[in-house]
Amino acid sequence: MPREAEPSLNEKQFLLQAIQENLRLDGREPDQYRPLGLTFGDEHGVADVTLGKTRVLARASAEVTVPYADRPLDGVFTIATELSPMASPAFEVNRPTETEVLLSRLLEKTVRRSGALDTESLCLVAGQKCWSVRVDVHVLSHDGNLIDASCFAVVAALRHFRKPDTSIEGGVLTVYTPAEREPVPLGWLHSPFCVTWSYFGDEGETALLDATRAEEQVRVGSCTISLNRHGEICQIAKLGGTPVDALMLLQCTSIALAKVKEISSLLDRKLDEDTKQRNKGGRAAELTAENDR
Amino acid sequence: MPITITAPKPVRQLYEDQDDVMSDSDSDSQSSKDGGNNNKYKNMINMIKAESGAAATTTTRSSTKPTSHGEIVTPGEVITDDPQWMRGHGTFVAPATSAIISSVAGTISRTNKLLSVRPLRARYTPEVGDLIVGRIVEVQAKRWRVDVGATQLASLPLSAINLPGGILRKRTETDELQIRTFFAEGDLLVAEVQQLFADGGAVLHTRSLKYGKLRNGVFVAVSGMGGGGGVVRSRRQVWTMEAANGGGQIDVALGVNGFVWISKHVETPPDLLEKTAGITNIEESVSATMYSSQNDRIEAETMREIARIRGVVTALVENGLRVDEDMVMRGYHEAVEMAILSSAGPDDIYLGGERGQQLAAALTAI
Amino acid sequence: MPLDTSAYGLALLRVDGRRWNELRRMHAQIRTQAAADGSSYLEMGHTKVMCVVTGPSEPGPRRGGLGGTASGGGASSAQSKDAEVAVSIVVAGFSSVDRKRPGRGDKRILELQSTISSALAASLHTHLFPHSTISISLHVLSQDGSLLAALINAATLACVDAGIPMTDYVVACTAGSTSTYAANDEAADPLLDLNHQEEQELPGLTVATLGQTDRVAVLVCESRVQVSRLEGMLAVGVDGCKQVREILDRVVRDKGHRMLLEGTVERGAGLDDMEVD
Repeated sequence: MPREAEPSLNEKQFLLQAIQENLRLDGREPDQYRPLGLTFGDEHGVADVTLGKTRVLARASAEVTVPYADRPLDGVFTIATELSPMASPAFEVNRPTETEVLLSRLLEKTVRRSGALDTESLCLVAGQKCWSVRVDVHVLSHDGNLIDASCFAVVAALRHFRKPDTSIEGGVLTVYTPAEREPVPLGWLHSPFCVTWSYFGDEGETALLDATRAEEQVRVGSCTISLNRHGEICQIAKLGGTPVDALMLLQCTSIALAKVKEISSLLDRKLDEDTKQRNKGGRAAELTAENDR
Repeated sequence: MPITITAPKPVRQLYEDQDDVMSDSDSDSQSSKDGGNNNKYKNMINMIKAESGAAATTTTRSSTKPTSHGEIVTPGEVITDDPQWMRGHGTFVAPATSAIISSVAGTISRTNKLLSVRPLRARYTPEVGDLIVGRIVEVQAKRWRVDVGATQLASLPLSAINLPGGILRKRTETDELQIRTFFAEGDLLVAEVQQLFADGGAVLHTRSLKYGKLRNGVFVAVSGMGGGGGVVRSRRQVWTMEAANGGGQIDVALGVNGFVWISKHVETPPDLLEKTAGITNIEESVSATMYSSQNDRIEAETMREIARIRGVVTALVENGLRVDEDMVMRGYHEAVEMAILSSAGPDDIYLGGERGQQLAAALTAI
Repeated sequence: MPLDTSAYGLALLRVDGRRWNELRRMHAQIRTQAAADGSSYLEMGHTKVMCVVTGPSEPGPRRGGLGGTASGGGASSAQSKDAEVAVSIVVAGFSSVDRKRPGRGDKRILELQSTISSALAASLHTHLFPHSTISISLHVLSQDGSLLAALINAATLACVDAGIPMTDYVVACTAGSTSTYAANDEAADPLLDLNHQEEQELPGLTVATLGQTDRVAVLVCESRVQVSRLEGMLAVGVDGCKQVREILDRVVRDKGHRMLLEGTVERGAGLDDMEVD
């Protein structure tokens, strides 16, 4: 099995000592994110997120299926993550590494279990027909902090996504093509985002946001906090690692809330821009069509 | 492995002697650390204390009464703050302090200024000169890897065994090629620890007539040196004893690592002794059978007595008694007498449960 | 079954009759399996787990055709300077009300395993045992909330029993809050040690700390809760951990004391003798 190359002792010491002296290799502040970029695809529901050199692509899709027997009134919502060898040689196809399992559990808890997507609105005919919404997360390039980038990509893709409109007349379900009826957005309740802290030092006394891959390799612990902008915690995961003072964790949470508000408004702005752009294009196309006639 | 759960103990009153230690030290340290925005947190802690009464008392750090519990120390307990002591095994020094803190549960032992904690139970830690019984788990090009019950596998180099055909023969390539003819995977051997690596791994040797491959007997694994009863280091680890009930002579090898080998004693044939005068020659002829994997013929009586000794060893361990030559011999004689008194006569070799306790009681009473 | 939280406001008693800051009955034993290096059995209320520790020991050569999977663990432990902490969790089919057999690749179990392994590795002195493995095997016999906390406590006890050096006990418990996330009332009380029913209905988190300190090794929250509640829940959780440590420490001391009386271990040198020198 290919393994990720460990950094040498000297590399580690260099990084750690720099961090102790409040210096990061890329000159960022401890609580500063790398530039966060988001572009939507031509289709609805495709989000391409870049965070420094980390790049994650999420694509949402929907199809009509039968709901689960124990939840007849809920639609189906799944998040599939795939870490391919494209992102790092340490990842293999069809053999989930620990990173991948933890990533998919975190996305699951943050987005699905916190009820960000209104699954009841996906139900078409109780117990018989419902929408199955699926988000595929592909990591295209791995340079640390996959969790925050993936979570942002998933939320962006879902909020950008439009599912085909449907109607039920006399027990007959009709799914309209985009040409017949404008597709509709998903029932969305709140937007959770992950903020991951990395801890350094013997007692985890130094905390950094948005660690790069090199920093992730030398950190002693991490804590991922998922919040929405209303100040609701959706999930916290500090899964082991060096113990960190409880007060420090509280401080980390309040800084994380501020970051989440920033990220949240960034996403709102991008979605607005995208809608405007599409509207412009849509009208222009209509106009040309009329002129031709 | 069958799952056994001993019967739960009756509910005990927890904190029985701690009602008076309702201390404020914790909240003090809290308030000194707290910033203004964390007042609520501090209040919460105080609230817990005020409301919960005895049930939720936070006790002071155990350093205040280090030896109050019958000299058992547990992980995280401060043994001493005094910088004059040096830390040994089972302890560590907290960063930026001089306090020596225990890292295992056990009893304190001290050699001059060196403080260490003997764990209540731990794996065997090899020391140079230990006589051990081990099992081959892996055969490599020029050495064997031996499971001795330690945290790491021990290694037995090809150069550290007696090669057949004379004591001072040089190791050849042929020997390397037929390394499995000496020891193969699963073989048991008795050896001595020759040296230790820096990381704690042991190197063994069998360059003596006492050591080598084991056959004609039975293997028992109990706990060894490292902590918590079992086999202890003593004057003699290997001896030959006269068995009762016509069992003949029996060899017992108590490996310091807790592995025990009990086997029929095989005499060097007397005619061989007569013929050969020099010690080298004896060695030469003995070595023919040295790496044999065939058992000799063992009489039923001998087997029964071997089984009885095995029962004595396990009964000693089960009842928390040390295993050494003296205890095994006394236990064996006791077991023989118990068998004679029992209805089944000498054939009764069962020494588990109540009979084991009876045996242990008889031994500790003397 | 919805939890009737209205009664709490009146009597300040929870569904099982506890007050907000009370732990459930906690019972633990160590050295339950004679054959293992270390073992423990732990009950937190009706959550019952047992733990067996093997090692630290060096894995021998792996046999069989499954070279791929075997080399995964073997290679990493053989190269590393520290011991590897391998955790496996078996959830018995009869442990919860609905009898179901979780698949082998259950991500929740994998996450629990990785959490426990990483939490213990931070406290255990793994650098003392190069290229060896400490394998911790946990069996869940009965589930009634606070599962992760019970597993961490049982694993810590078994490691103490195995005589593996550690900085301090890693102890865990859960904490919750009396009202659901939707109700934004400030008067919500924090609760200590949630049972299954409370865990289903109320927001809660699992905290594990290093011994008596306020340093948090594990903090897992899986429910939606106002950020302002975190402080109170964390404070109660950290305090609960200190109580748990006392209970676990008592179990170890009792066992050690009994071994001293039986003469299995030699009496140690007292501190008073030392001061004389």
